[in-house]
Amino acid sequence: MSCPKTQHVMLEYFSDDLAPLMREEMEKHLASCAECNQELESLLMTKSSLEAWQEQRVPHWDRGVELFSREHRTSKTGNASWDIWQWIPTAASFAMLCVLLLNVNFSTTEQGFSISFNSGANAQSDVTEMLASFEGAQQLEMNQAIERMEDRQDGNNLRMMQAMLEQNQQATAENLEQIYAYFEQQRILDLQDMRVGYQQLVDSDYETIRSLQQLASFVSFQDDVR
Amino acid sequence: MALINEDEALIAAALNGSAFAWEKLVKRYESRVYNQGLRLMGNPADAMDLCQEVFLGVYRNLHRFRGDAKFSSWLFRIAHNKSVDLNRRKRLMMVQAKPWSQEEDDGLDMYPAATGFEPDEKLDQSQANTQVMTMLAQLPMDQRLIVELKIYQSLTFEEIADMQDISTNTAKTRFYTALKKLKVVSEKDHVLP
Repeated sequence: MSCPKTQHVMLEYFSDDLAPLMREEMEKHLASCAECNQELESLLMTKSSLEAWQEQRVPHWDRGVELFSREHRTSKTGNASWDIWQWIPTAASFAMLCVLLLNVNFSTTEQGFSISFNSGANAQSDVTEMLASFEGAQQLEMNQAIERMEDRQDGNNLRMMQAMLEQNQQATAENLEQIYAYFEQQRILDLQDMRVGYQQLVDSDYETIRSLQQLASFVSFQDDVR
Repeated sequence: MALINEDEALIAAALNGSAFAWEKLVKRYESRVYNQGLRLMGNPADAMDLCQEVFLGVYRNLHRFRGDAKFSSWLFRIAHNKSVDLNRRKRLMMVQAKPWSQEEDDGLDMYPAATGFEPDEKLDQSQANTQVMTMLAQLPMDQRLIVELKIYQSLTFEEIADMQDISTNTAKTRFYTALKKLKVVSEKDHVLP
């Protein structure tokens, strides 16, 4: 290799930001200089044989996950106190929210310190009284309602029983009347029968008497004739 | 963009103690880190060591990640530094084990590492990858790193210079020297004995 420009040309060829003018000049030189051209060709061949590398898969390994999990656990316990302190603002906000929502009243009297919900300390006793009276009224109303209910229920039952009894009695009376009428009718029929029978008997007796009279008259006639 | 945002979400979740998020984050990048390890260290065992060290470093420093740069750039900077460290430790161990190989300071002492695969690990490896690893094993670590960053991670020479705390010209020169050396190596490989 005797071309003095070879190294310079090769360095420039592989540089990242070659000015277009420089590239043109270099191309011109490469076209005219066989040595540089040959050098470049062999370097490019070397480069392409290096580029033939094929990505190889990674053998199995734990990727440091075990170490990661272990260290993370220990660091977590190490910072436990910090974790607790971290919650304090949240807890304070929550407490304030509770105080606002429940309308808590803090008051200090001679008896001491008292905390009450909703408006004022008297409110609680008022509420208790109201609750008691309301409960009483409710109880009373309930009892009345129960009594009314019982009464109504009893009246209904009584009426129903009476009605049933009446119905029953009527039915029985009707039945007795029917039986009585039937007996009466039978008795009348029997009497009529008996009357007819007696009449017949009397009639036959009259007949007999009449025939006897006739016989007697005949006999007497005969006797007269004789 | 969505990928970056997802990274940030995973980082936030991992910092809050989600092992699942951490595992997902590792899964996203482990393949790239492992393959970088294979190319730089020359064998699967060291590549795996590098992978573990990189993600341990990421885990230890995750709370320091500010989000002003891409997470991937941050991670590969860690990977770069860990590769340098691991390589230095390995060389030191080799020198202590074999004091007579001290005169070989051009990286050729790394060559046997490329042949030290377990049989089943070698099955996974394509012919192309074996060839690349053999080629890269010829280079000293600083050149190997430039090749890695330029060819496989597609960084600009400016980014490489910034990462390695060298000038852009030095980075360019190292890259050219590396390619030239590999050209010679591959030409040697193709010569029949």
